[in-house]
Amino acid sequence: MKNKLEEFRNRNGWTQQELADRVEVSRQTIISLESGRYNPSILLAFRLARLFKLQVEDLFLFSDEENHHG
Amino acid sequence: MDNQKEWIMIRIRIGWLFLVAGVLVGFVGVIAELQLGHLFKDFRIVTGLGILLVGIGAGYLVRYGSALKDEKSALRLTVEERDERSVLIRARAGNRAFWVSTVLINIGLMWSSFASNDRLPPLTGDTLWFYLAAAVLLPFGIYITSILVDERNL
Repeated sequence: MKNKLEEFRNRNGWTQQELADRVEVSRQTIISLESGRYNPSILLAFRLARLFKLQVEDLFLFSDEENHHG
Repeated sequence: MDNQKEWIMIRIRIGWLFLVAGVLVGFVGVIAELQLGHLFKDFRIVTGLGILLVGIGAGYLVRYGSALKDEKSALRLTVEERDERSVLIRARAGNRAFWVSTVLINIGLMWSSFASNDRLPPLTGDTLWFYLAAAVLLPFGIYITSILVDERNL
């Protein structure tokens, strides 16, 4: 799933480690999320969205392809 | 008590549980060796199990006990161990290892069933030892490999 995590992280001037510390995951998880290799749990998605004061769908982009289990 | 400390305290309790169980099992092994040594060939396997449990318990106590003293390392430790991606990777590895283990155990069971009807040669001696060793090591290998692959791909 595509997301705007890197964009919003950079806007806040946080490093990957700083973001990881704020949502209590490892830095590797942030790296995987930003590269789109890993889809977060709904809980982590909400934590990240709340941190950036966004709605989940503003941060994580759900496409039609994913709707068909692509 | 905050969430991290509570989580670490649970691990420390588990460590004590292993340690106490290990001491008890080890003690039973030593006593059995002395008192009932004439009944079975070797009770040292029980003592060995006790030592293993003591080792696991001590490992838990050292790892989580040191984290309790320092708030920053406690946070890092809980984050590392509860990190959802790491949990997923370990769960996937465990699932794969479980299936390999199940297949190997089933093959062994089927083989010994057929062997008891003289349809296959029986697994004895070295062959049995190597098969059992493979049944232990192969799932472990799959577990480690799966973690390495998923760490790179996920």
